[in-house]
Amino acid sequence: MLKFFTINTIAEIICFLIAITCLSKDKMAAWRIRILFLLITCIAELTGIYVKHLYLSDRVHIHPNAWVYNILIFFQIAFFNFIFQQTLKKFIQVTPFIIVISSLLIILHVYEICSQSVYIYDDLANSALSILIVLYSLYYFFHLIKDEKPINIGLSADFWWVAGTLLFYFGTTAYNVFYEQLSSIVTKTGQNPGVLKYLHNVFNIILYGCWSYSFICRRWETKKSES
Amino acid sequence: MLELLIYLQKMGNKEIGELVVYVTIVFLIAPIFIVVYIFLYNQRKKRHIEEKAQMQLTFASELTKAQLEVQEQTMQTIGADLHDNIGQLLSLTSLTLNSIELDNLDKARQKINDSIDLTLRSIKEMRLLGHLLQGDQLVALGLSEAIRQEINWMERSGKYEIVYLAEEEIPANNNPDKDLIVFRILQEIFNNIIKHAAATTITVKLDYSEGLLRLLVDDNGVGFAADDLPVAKHGMGLQNIQKRAGIIGGKADINSNPGEGTQITIFIPYP
Repeated sequence: MLKFFTINTIAEIICFLIAITCLSKDKMAAWRIRILFLLITCIAELTGIYVKHLYLSDRVHIHPNAWVYNILIFFQIAFFNFIFQQTLKKFIQVTPFIIVISSLLIILHVYEICSQSVYIYDDLANSALSILIVLYSLYYFFHLIKDEKPINIGLSADFWWVAGTLLFYFGTTAYNVFYEQLSSIVTKTGQNPGVLKYLHNVFNIILYGCWSYSFICRRWETKKSES
Repeated sequence: MLELLIYLQKMGNKEIGELVVYVTIVFLIAPIFIVVYIFLYNQRKKRHIEEKAQMQLTFASELTKAQLEVQEQTMQTIGADLHDNIGQLLSLTSLTLNSIELDNLDKARQKINDSIDLTLRSIKEMRLLGHLLQGDQLVALGLSEAIRQEINWMERSGKYEIVYLAEEEIPANNNPDKDLIVFRILQEIFNNIIKHAAATTITVKLDYSEGLLRLLVDDNGVGFAADDLPVAKHGMGLQNIQKRAGIIGGKADINSNPGEGTQITIFIPYP
């Protein structure tokens, strides 16, 4: 049972619990949907660990856990595109662009799964999504700078959510670029080399830490507007 | 790219791991820098808005102060005028009427005529005072007209010969706030001339070109060493002139030398 509780899963579960506490009564679907996404992520992570242990005990009959994350990519494409559409619409209308981009990403992901295998992680779609998320985040910050009106950054839910997302997806670029080399090492040894596993934990803590804080800020924002 | 892949294949697990760590740290620093930059830029935006609000407050308070000072100056002028001019005229009228002897009709007629003349002069003085009583409403007539009225009053003292040159092309869509401040600056300059300059001739020029209003006041008074004047002796008058010109986005050039008079030029973006 303890094997399911890694630093990553603990961070995700805590973030998920904070999301339930802070966002369950939120009037905006764009915020409530984050609870659902975190639930899916937690389920995927726990399933991934379970499948990984099955695979390590029987490498002949069991496939690696890549298929779990391949399924998760579909949700990630839909989730991030929807959230950024909602976040950016304050500054600019990007809905048609986002619909086209997310459709292209899904097509790419389906094509990759069909052309290689669902049991091989689709690094291409994941990298493309990461680049897109980084661009969305930078575009959001660009508009934040351009906007004459200052915001209360310390308490801005949108800012902390985007900041966490940018730090994670931009920071893990090297991870994605060297994914093939790293995955071959992990497959051979069953472990991430050196401090890499700690680095990945740090990124997860940054991401879920920023997201959790953003959910708390959102709760404060809605509470303030209600009173 | 191919060479890089060959190089990577030759690298050991540990070396690849180290390479990824270093690159990751660099990639982490970049977004941290962006987030910090946005935070600092946002703080700057906030400060800018606060400073703007503070400037608006200062402007509003200076405007009120200028309005009050114009009114105060008007009241002082009226007080002095009532005491020195109209009061004297009416006392003289009263004395003249009291001294009429009805037995001597020719002399009485003469005294009655003198009294009528004195009364008419009093009425004229009262009318002029009426203009001053309008106080800051004077500026509502237009800056040029307000300056003309102020000069009329200065001239009545008989101590100064004043030349007033006003350009007719001052924009019709005037700025009443700026007009009031410029008018108050002129009053301040006149006060300085009365108190310290011992001047006999004054030239006032008001002109406008390319969005800039220029008010020049030149006197032939005793002057002062403008560059060497200590801060304490700079006087509230000169400081106020410069401060008020600055508040409406303009500036004041003060040129003076002992024995050579004083020339003050106010430049104001207008309207």
